[in-house]
Amino acid sequence: MRPMVRLTTFALLLAASAAHAQTGAAVQSPTRAHVEMLASSKLEGRLAGSAGEKLAAEYLVKELQRMGAKPLPGQADYRLPFAFTAGSKDAGSTITVQREGAPARTFTTREQVMALSYSDNGEVSGPVVFAGYGLVVPPSQNFSYDSYQGLDVKDKVVVVLRYFPEDADMQTRAAVARYSDLRYKAQAARQRGAKALVVVTGPRSPNAGNIVPMTFDTALAGSGLVATSANGEVAQAIFAAVPDKSLEAVQKELDSGNPHVAGFAVTGVTLTVKADVSRERQTGHNVVGYFPASMTAPGVDKPWVVIGAHYDHLGRGATGSSLASKEQAGQIHHGADDNASGTSAVLAIAEALSKQPRKRNLAVAFWSAEELGLIGSNHFVTTPPVPITGMAAYLNFDMVGRSTDNKLTVQATGTSPMWPKMLEQANVAAGFDLILQEDPYQPTDVSSFNQAGVASLAFFTGAHVDYHKPTDTAEKINYEELDRIAEFATDITRRLLDLERAPQFTKVEQKTEGGGRAGMRIFTGTIPDYATEVKGLLLGGVIGGGPAEQAGLQKGDVIVEIAGQSIANIYDYTYALELLKIGQPAKVVYMRNGERRETQLTPAARK
Amino acid sequence: MTMRPLVTFLVAGLTAASASAFARFDDDALGRGEPTAQAPAPAANQERDFLSRVRRLTVEGRRAGEGYWSPDGKRLVFQSERDPSNPFYQIYVLDFATGETKRISPGIGKTTCAFFRPGSDQILFASTHHDPKSKQLQDEELAFRASGKERRYAWDYDPEMEIYAFAEKTGAMTRLTNAKGYDAEASYSPDGQWIAFSSMRDAYNRQLSPQEQKQLETDPSYYGEIYIMKADGSEQRRLTTEPGYDGGPFFTHDGQRIVWRHFDEQGLIADIWTMKLDGTDKKQITSFKSMSWAPYEHPSGEYFLFASNKLGFENFEVFMVDKAGAKEPVRVTYSDGFDGLPVPSPDGKQLAFTSSRSGGGAGQIFLAQWNHENAMKALAAAGPRK
Repeated sequence: MRPMVRLTTFALLLAASAAHAQTGAAVQSPTRAHVEMLASSKLEGRLAGSAGEKLAAEYLVKELQRMGAKPLPGQADYRLPFAFTAGSKDAGSTITVQREGAPARTFTTREQVMALSYSDNGEVSGPVVFAGYGLVVPPSQNFSYDSYQGLDVKDKVVVVLRYFPEDADMQTRAAVARYSDLRYKAQAARQRGAKALVVVTGPRSPNAGNIVPMTFDTALAGSGLVATSANGEVAQAIFAAVPDKSLEAVQKELDSGNPHVAGFAVTGVTLTVKADVSRERQTGHNVVGYFPASMTAPGVDKPWVVIGAHYDHLGRGATGSSLASKEQAGQIHHGADDNASGTSAVLAIAEALSKQPRKRNLAVAFWSAEELGLIGSNHFVTTPPVPITGMAAYLNFDMVGRSTDNKLTVQATGTSPMWPKMLEQANVAAGFDLILQEDPYQPTDVSSFNQAGVASLAFFTGAHVDYHKPTDTAEKINYEELDRIAEFATDITRRLLDLERAPQFTKVEQKTEGGGRAGMRIFTGTIPDYATEVKGLLLGGVIGGGPAEQAGLQKGDVIVEIAGQSIANIYDYTYALELLKIGQPAKVVYMRNGERRETQLTPAARK
Repeated sequence: MTMRPLVTFLVAGLTAASASAFARFDDDALGRGEPTAQAPAPAANQERDFLSRVRRLTVEGRRAGEGYWSPDGKRLVFQSERDPSNPFYQIYVLDFATGETKRISPGIGKTTCAFFRPGSDQILFASTHHDPKSKQLQDEELAFRASGKERRYAWDYDPEMEIYAFAEKTGAMTRLTNAKGYDAEASYSPDGQWIAFSSMRDAYNRQLSPQEQKQLETDPSYYGEIYIMKADGSEQRRLTTEPGYDGGPFFTHDGQRIVWRHFDEQGLIADIWTMKLDGTDKKQITSFKSMSWAPYEHPSGEYFLFASNKLGFENFEVFMVDKAGAKEPVRVTYSDGFDGLPVPSPDGKQLAFTSSRSGGGAGQIFLAQWNHENAMKALAAAGPRK
């Protein structure tokens, strides 16, 4: 770009960055080498607790040392280990059905009995109560649903159906769907004094008669009772004691959604339920260093600013959140965007600020086990090595390597009234087409800091078709834009380090209630684009072979209506999904190139 | 995203018509397009023919708009609702070198439509701060908002609106108009000696018939006419007399003509016009059969940029048209909701505009690099005016 005759300072900035782009080969990107290292096959997808994670941690420690960062006060090492449950398996759960006057039958195979991942281990016996779908919906808006109405389950074994009434009207389904997660059902049973919970997938439901697979459930708060699922064979053995009624007939009555269809005690049967879950404990490592304040600034409150990114990813995709196709199964998930990009941005910011004077301490944090449920950052904020109340602000970087059209999404802006002004000022020079989202309840580590009451921001450049697949590789990163994002965030971090008064924290109300996604039992194969704000749900892509692809939906389509429910945002969409019926085509209205179109999408069961 | 009942939509239409006076803009009433107006991905690519590096400039506050460049291109003056104690627009100046923004208006009452005076430290804008009811109106609006209720955004043509010149060095405010009725939408001539503006004083300086009185109560903008005055407020002269709202006047860069928008009597159709500074030689530049307004000349003098809802009642896009109006306008923006108030930088290489593309319905100011060469090619290729 030639210099303009009437160069404004602003134009100069633009000219400078354009020149930078043109001579990209000559000017070294401050992030590229980091991304290429972290996303390399040598690190094997950086699964928390794996050898690849340790290699990545080693790299980060070396970088922190090179820049002159120190371990946090009171810590000997940059690595802050934490234990987590890496997986769970059933190690021999059984159910014995003892009917009066009949020989006891014991079910022992994994097709017949499987503990729920959050079950207590132990063996209990007791009389049986069938409690329908085991749903308890707190009364609201003239609606309530209580499967336990009129039932005494104290010290008994409760048998319930999985999911929720299949034939209920839309309103009822909407109301109960959120409470149909098995965790809620277990909690409801425990609160009523049950000894054990046995979940059966009814003959009229998706996955009929199958046990509930043990999901990798990392948020492993014990449910406080013995909880298993049992297959149709076990269910038959129990319901054989019920005169004149098959399980299918019982379910059909319940499926109307009429809250007055009651459960009942199954007389003459004693169940002995033994749950045995073996949990694999592993150790993950957050890597945290800091640059101490270089000036004594008496007026400054809250002496810490924290910048962070998770550096773990999915390894070879053995966990549930991999979206690898069958052909890609078992391949290394490189996680270049998720989240070598954010890790590299944090390294670049730290490097840029390492030599500058600062009034606050700058903590530089790399989280592990984010992909398993924000475990590393949660561990940090719940057992903070430095007081959490001393943290002025937290900036998070997760998936910042795929910026297009000059767009940058900044989330959690509702956590402080200061953010809009600061972002506006810093962005005058940076020049991003900013998209602001107030909501801090994001599926990334910013959530942990928001919960801890720290004013936070999360930088994000949007989901894409390579999300959680082996194809999220380093050569697809937009380094020029990644470097610009790092520069922009460096400016914001510098402002935060020198502010006299820390940003005031404001609590943002959570938009979703109840179980949210937890109640989801269906699979549509859509990949929402969280970054671009449109009215409706913009698809960042569709999963190959999934229901959305089969319905002809593609990247760029905007879903505006599904099954008669209008969709204005991701929350509406999530909510509407809960109302769909598996295997039953639903009308989808969507916009493509400004044109309104319709298709039929047939949801599949989420296993 | 339920479809609006037809009745509401019609009401919205009326609001939009009158609100576009907001001199130069309104957003909420216009910005909430129906789903048919979704911006599809390929359209964004079309926008790149003329605009690149589109970026949001204003972030703070509920809404912002009407960004006008300083003559040296180093600053932008705009209006924004960002003061927690005042729910109405105040005027701010943004410095591109520092990123700092400071308020230059009094903070009390309503303001709109600022403009830098070339060769001077003065900035003009319209304000109601002299109205003793100002504080009360602010408090009422704040209480209304606090109650959680929402009303459709509409510009109210406050008859207290008067034009002031603010001197940056001394902070002095000079009142330039003193006529009952809305005086606003003002801009300086390139030599800084003249001001063109819109005024509704005609509704107050004579006896109105009952029918005219009713018109004033339902839509005062009908009485909007273009006036010109010296930069000190003297020699105020009326330049337009046709029925229907005349507003948003700007001087062309050679200082020879005024470009403005003229509404029909119903306030639904508007077109771009130009005239000499004495009000003679009036020329209609567009016949676009839609609400076409907020015209601003590109510094090359070759074409005007403006906003129009040609493609959907609530979907305003930026268009451009050749200086003689010989050809059909060419579409510039491709984005759901509102895109309008296009103002090129003094060097003609950037464009400031107001858009609701960041979501939420309310407008914010955006900047983009402007491709003048492509604009000239597209204008040359445009078909003859229909």
